[in-house]
Amino acid sequence: MNRRKFIAGTSLSTAGVILTNNLPGCSSVEQKGKVSYDIMKDVMKYRKIDAHCHPQDDLVKQLEIADRLGISKMQISNPVTNFSGTESEGPDQVRMHNDVVLNAMKKFPDRFIGFFTLNPNYRKESVEEINRCVDLGMAGYKGYTQVKVNDPLYYPIIEKLTDLKMLVFMHTFCQLGMAGYRMKYDIGRFPNTTLPEDMVEAARRYPEAMFHFAHIAGGGDWEYECKMLKECPNIYVDTGGSNNEENIIDFAIKHLGEDRIFFGTDDCYHHGVGKILASDATDAQKQKIFFDNYNNVLKKGGHNVA
Amino acid sequence: MLLDINSYIGHWPFKQLKYNTCASRLETMNRFGVDLSVVSNLNGIFYKNTQSANVELYNELKSDIQFSSRFIPFAVINPIYAGWMDDLENCITKLGMKGVRVYPQYHDYSITDPGFIQLVKVCRDRGLPVTIDMRMVDSRQRSWMDIPVFDYNAPVKTDIIFREWNLQNIMPVIREVPDARFIIVNLANSIRLNIEDLALIRKADVVFDTSGRSLMGDDTLSELLKRFGSEKFAFGSHSPILDYLTGLLRIESMNGSEADDETKERLRSGNARRIIGI
Repeated sequence: MNRRKFIAGTSLSTAGVILTNNLPGCSSVEQKGKVSYDIMKDVMKYRKIDAHCHPQDDLVKQLEIADRLGISKMQISNPVTNFSGTESEGPDQVRMHNDVVLNAMKKFPDRFIGFFTLNPNYRKESVEEINRCVDLGMAGYKGYTQVKVNDPLYYPIIEKLTDLKMLVFMHTFCQLGMAGYRMKYDIGRFPNTTLPEDMVEAARRYPEAMFHFAHIAGGGDWEYECKMLKECPNIYVDTGGSNNEENIIDFAIKHLGEDRIFFGTDDCYHHGVGKILASDATDAQKQKIFFDNYNNVLKKGGHNVA
Repeated sequence: MLLDINSYIGHWPFKQLKYNTCASRLETMNRFGVDLSVVSNLNGIFYKNTQSANVELYNELKSDIQFSSRFIPFAVINPIYAGWMDDLENCITKLGMKGVRVYPQYHDYSITDPGFIQLVKVCRDRGLPVTIDMRMVDSRQRSWMDIPVFDYNAPVKTDIIFREWNLQNIMPVIREVPDARFIIVNLANSIRLNIEDLALIRKADVVFDTSGRSLMGDDTLSELLKRFGSEKFAFGSHSPILDYLTGLLRIESMNGSEADDETKERLRSGNARRIIGI
């Protein structure tokens, strides 16, 4: 062994003794700076409206989870997803899906805010379904992948929703092969999925309309999404989805501002609350995200929470 | 006591991370009342020679006296790379490492690779837990430079090869070395097992962390405690990739009928301390 190796080995061994003798949790060193943190107290500190949920088979269980997390109201929708590729997407199916939401609203009127879905390919039936659902107390619209939001088929729907002061809430996505970059990757998504660029185009065409870009934590590239949506003040985002990455909330606040972000879960309830609590947002910003921002938008159409 | 069994320092090459140094991690731990954190160096996933990352972690830990009492270092070992046995020995005897993390997908070897099985047996004999991630990041938002999820050579590019693991993908190594200690983290995909594998998991010394997205719906933590046993779970954050609190919220939001105080204490630190041996 040469001198250099001997010295290196000695210093490692010596320091190793320090580390191994100084067992974590058994040290005489004080845990300087550690505060007591009661997460459930923090959870209950904020009023919450969940801006992105879907009615579950067991509504009582769904509300029981919401109760534990201090979620007083949940916006629910039931779009025709057709994951299997064999499901009908016609007017009858749309109506049936909306009826599920209406039934949940009837059972728990104080807890659920219902949004209707449509298939804009059926123009006449879509107008009729909007009128039916609005008459029955629904508060906004949730679109899926039948038609992109910037397609001319959407124009009359956006105009109608704007008259009603209701949100144009769209399922959206953005990943390799979608949303303008690395398009050589074909990842098999529905081709009419609304991308950030599509919503930007619609939002610029209708600056008086209110758009809601779904679930920035839903697995898409949230950095791309926030940067793309930054310059459109009439586009809001929700924080829903299962990909509860560390920096999503802080990045969204930095790029979109604290007023354009809604708390949402997309039925991922613990992720939905945890990622906001863990963010660097101030208490006031958290209250805006958890409740105020969405309630202010609902208020425009008279559907806010008192 | 609160012990985070799954955290990192270091860099993810495709996205900037926050709180990815010992100093900033300690600030986060203090903010949220966490006493101890298992920590390893993300750079070890991307360095071919993982020992460089272990030494980086060691050097950072010895830079502040507070760190040694708050962090429990785990070594990143690649059992198909030259010198791994020496590296492991150095990590145990000189760098104070208390466990091992492995990345078969990133280091490109199979779950039953002979080198890996040998590593697990050595860890078993030395009383060290081996930590396996179900996934590191959500592949839907992956970088084009991350490990592939598609078969680019397939005639039709939509022939997707779903490369994120589920629990069944990890079972072969547990079957091979059932008396080793395993920590399985970031349960992001299916945790359904057949009767034989479920019986094996229940019998083996395995701990899952609470960070992964699959702990919801029919697989809430309270349901999983019934299925696998309350000694099988421990608080883990998978931070700074995932947020710091979701894994803790899953524990603390359970009511008394789902988890009594004693069970919650096991989830907060007891099970982790048992499997790490501290």
